[in-house]
Amino acid sequence: MLSNNLKLAWHFYKQEYQSSHQRLLRWIQGILLLFIITLSQSSISIQAYLDHNLQSLLGADAVLSQKAELTPSQHTEVIEITDDMVITQHIKTTLTHNGQWQQAKLKAVGEHYPLQGELLTSTALKEKGMPTFAAPKNGHIWLDARILASLSLNIGDHLQLANQQFLVSRILQHEPDRLMEGHTVDMRAMINLQDMKALNFSPDLIHYRYLLAATPAQVNNLIKWQENNLPAAEIRHKNGNHPLALFWQRTENFMGLASIILFFMAAIAVNQLTQVHMKKDQYFSAICMSLGASNSTGIQVSFFKWFIGLLLLLPVVVLLSACSHWLIVNWLQETFADMQWQWHAKSALVSISAVVTIFAVFHAPVWLSLRNNSVANLFADKSKGLSHWLSKISSLIVLSAVTITYSDNALLTMMMVAATLFTIILMILISWSTLTLGEKFTQNFSGLVPFSLFMMKQRLVSKSTQILGIGLCAFLLLFTLMLLKDLGATMSSYQRQHDGNVMISQATKPQMQFIENWAKEQKIAVRQAKPYMYAKLIEINQQSLSKFSDKPSDSLATFSRAIRLHWTEQVPQNNKVIDGQWWQPNSENWQQVSIEEEVMTDLGLAIGDWLTFFIGQEEIKFQITASHVFKPGAGSITFWVQMPPTALAHIQAPHYNMASIELDSQQWPLLANLWQKFPSLRMISLKEMTDLFDRMLAMITKVISGFSLMIILLAGVVILASINALESKEKKKNSIIMSFGFTRSTCLKLNIIEWLVTASITATGAILGTYFTGLLIYQSQFSLNYQPDFVWLIATLATILCLVTGLGIYASRSNLKSSVKQLMADT
Amino acid sequence: MSNYIELKKISQSFNTNDATITLFNDLNLVISQGESYAITGPSGAGKSSLLMLISGLEEPTSGQGIYVDVEQKKTLKELRNDIGFIFQQFHLLPELTALNNVALPLKLRGDKNAMAKAKVWLDKVGLAHRVDHKPSELSGGEQQRVAIARALVFEPKFIFADEPTGNLDQKSATEIANILFTCCQENNAALVLVTHSETLAARAQHKYLLADRQLNQTVSPSDLDTNNIVQVASC
Repeated sequence: MLSNNLKLAWHFYKQEYQSSHQRLLRWIQGILLLFIITLSQSSISIQAYLDHNLQSLLGADAVLSQKAELTPSQHTEVIEITDDMVITQHIKTTLTHNGQWQQAKLKAVGEHYPLQGELLTSTALKEKGMPTFAAPKNGHIWLDARILASLSLNIGDHLQLANQQFLVSRILQHEPDRLMEGHTVDMRAMINLQDMKALNFSPDLIHYRYLLAATPAQVNNLIKWQENNLPAAEIRHKNGNHPLALFWQRTENFMGLASIILFFMAAIAVNQLTQVHMKKDQYFSAICMSLGASNSTGIQVSFFKWFIGLLLLLPVVVLLSACSHWLIVNWLQETFADMQWQWHAKSALVSISAVVTIFAVFHAPVWLSLRNNSVANLFADKSKGLSHWLSKISSLIVLSAVTITYSDNALLTMMMVAATLFTIILMILISWSTLTLGEKFTQNFSGLVPFSLFMMKQRLVSKSTQILGIGLCAFLLLFTLMLLKDLGATMSSYQRQHDGNVMISQATKPQMQFIENWAKEQKIAVRQAKPYMYAKLIEINQQSLSKFSDKPSDSLATFSRAIRLHWTEQVPQNNKVIDGQWWQPNSENWQQVSIEEEVMTDLGLAIGDWLTFFIGQEEIKFQITASHVFKPGAGSITFWVQMPPTALAHIQAPHYNMASIELDSQQWPLLANLWQKFPSLRMISLKEMTDLFDRMLAMITKVISGFSLMIILLAGVVILASINALESKEKKKNSIIMSFGFTRSTCLKLNIIEWLVTASITATGAILGTYFTGLLIYQSQFSLNYQPDFVWLIATLATILCLVTGLGIYASRSNLKSSVKQLMADT
Repeated sequence: MSNYIELKKISQSFNTNDATITLFNDLNLVISQGESYAITGPSGAGKSSLLMLISGLEEPTSGQGIYVDVEQKKTLKELRNDIGFIFQQFHLLPELTALNNVALPLKLRGDKNAMAKAKVWLDKVGLAHRVDHKPSELSGGEQQRVAIARALVFEPKFIFADEPTGNLDQKSATEIANILFTCCQENNAALVLVTHSETLAARAQHKYLLADRQLNQTVSPSDLDTNNIVQVASC
């Protein structure tokens, strides 16, 4: 019996293969499967790469890292716990040569370096790296190839660092403990530990790293020891997570969240197509049942037919996914060098199973409608009701499940869902009011427009579904494109307008004082200068950060490192208090902080919660008394955590400054002197900043463009599906109109008017929805002041009108291939 | 003579993969406004195709068709504004109420009194109490009455009906026939119907048989027994 049904399903699958409803279903399934399989393959490849990277690039069994040097007693305790220890010191500095400068990460190593793995160096650029077993000699410096190019240096040249001369003696090819810096693009330089001491950098600017050889048991003891003695220190070990693991998981979650949009569009398209599938399968099932078959025959044939379709689609999808995966791996090699393409069959199987299950849920109403109906009902096509609602509910459940699984930034997810719901309600209201009022007001006018409005109003339910489907696609597409455009334009103009052209991200107190005097002398404008100290969040309400939340988020990722803690008496001009109360001047209660709103939401914090920070060498508790948000227009330097200045009297920690200065073109060479005097000054020019920004934007553009392509493809499929769903009705309508003595051109004109009305409602809804979403999301998520560009919006409106009308008319041209004779033949 | 349609030496044929099939040859026919015509014949003889040719919706393979409107000779294409159709399957739009279905052709023509006129016509076909009902809530006979009202509401000069009672029981068929003939007569519209039903065909003033590619008149007005014409009280 089963094999007979399978044969029958195969037969019908072949018969329906070319029909538009099957073709559209294949497109939807194909696009989503391609997206999800590629995403999961890329994700697994990156995870595997990171894992391998962790094993081979840690350069030790465990690495303990912190801003301060271990005290002699701590040093002794760590030596006792582990087998071997190698110390490295790191500082961000600026190297100068012949008036040129280049920022670099300077690493100082001793004679025992490296602890594990191979240090590779060479004496010529094209030479292969040779294993090197000793640190650079005193007065020598080893540079990576990029610095040599950037400063026009050759082996044997001398360069200047903090007024000391260093001989460039080797090219740095590979450091076995590069992992900790794996995701930065900083240029690298290496000197001897003795020279580092001689350079006499302020100790608080140096980062200390202890490479340790230890057994897994010793590593566990070390972790316990670190938790008790050095809570603010960072520890990495071979059994733990890669430093980039959390970052990647967040990226993956963001992509996953974005895929909800694709699933949502697929649900709309499948929902439209379900009407056609239901009708066809019901008709077939009714015939089978009238010939004595049970209703399970119809369900089985329908299921097998659907399953065969998917099964035959898989080889094509898998092949395309493999190609896309290969392209992505190649692209990612810029970030993750040596990453290899590899196919992960198990992961592909899991992804396919999940997506197939989701598709089955979307398609389930067809099978349910066959199960719950009798022959009479099937022929009469009165199958709505239970299955109709089940289809909506099941789709909603699936979409909610996908949302919950991928939700990363709770606030953003909530806002996106709210914006989508708002747009749906808005479009229903616009459809209803436009068609009702339009029909009412044009009742006394003659012509095709009043007639079209009358017909659309009469078919409000089916028309609204079509408008909603197309409208949501337009909204999602518009928002994605607008975000891409505005994020680039607003951010770059904002940076250029308010921040001067040199940003100082870390200057010590003496450095800042010097800069201020130097700026005055040179007539350079200091735009902003704000003090801060480094603080590492270790506990929230006496619960350690790692135990408090294991869900990756923007805020948590940042709080895993020391953050900048700012102090100020008044609310900064570029901030606004939105909850709680800002401290009074000279407040005696110094243990209070104001936290940025998004951080509050991300970490689930509330006014009154207690945060424990590790500052300097002590733990300090603060209560959250206020929450602030960024207010544009008064400079971009803002801080997530701020405290009253009275707290300074109770905290022993180095003070730093963030500042921005404005130099004109003749003043640029002055920077070289400044860097020679303060090589550890962290300063970045507008050009470097915009280069960095442009690189980031180029990456975002690539990702969003790829994603937009998916949305455009799916939007096209949704429009085609909605036309396909109404095709038989439209054909009949046109035939009837022709039977009243009208020509095909009248039907075409009516069709154009209907699509223009549909497109107008769609575009208005999409633009209003986008505007609302912009207002809701821009400020809170991207700190952008949303100022809609009306010319752009009107141009977009016109584009949507043309595209939707054009595609609608083109796709529904088969509806016009109707005739009165077809009505006669339809017996 | 009032307005009429004249077909002269009309032939219709079509090509299949390997043969040409001729439906009819050298056919002559005159349809005058205000009179009724029935075309019978076996299935596949080309009755529906003939209906399409008479109404000007299809072109013949050879021959000529003219439409004489107030003594003006026109092509059959110009007949379009003066024709209405009634189908075996009723073909009402399911989303519209009976009233809106009837008002449809008037609205398309921009008639401001569309709804009022539609109401009058629904009353004429005996459905004044069903104006707000959708087709799915009406019986077959009622649906066909709505279809008749819809075909006649814009007062076409020629009504073409394809098996108008083919889907109805005997009682409903008789009722529909009464309404159809009477309404066309009262409206001074020609009624051209294609049917297998001898009973229905017998009520037409002119009866033709289309068989073996020929159209032969079997009954003319002079043959009619006027006693057989059933008069309906109203339309």
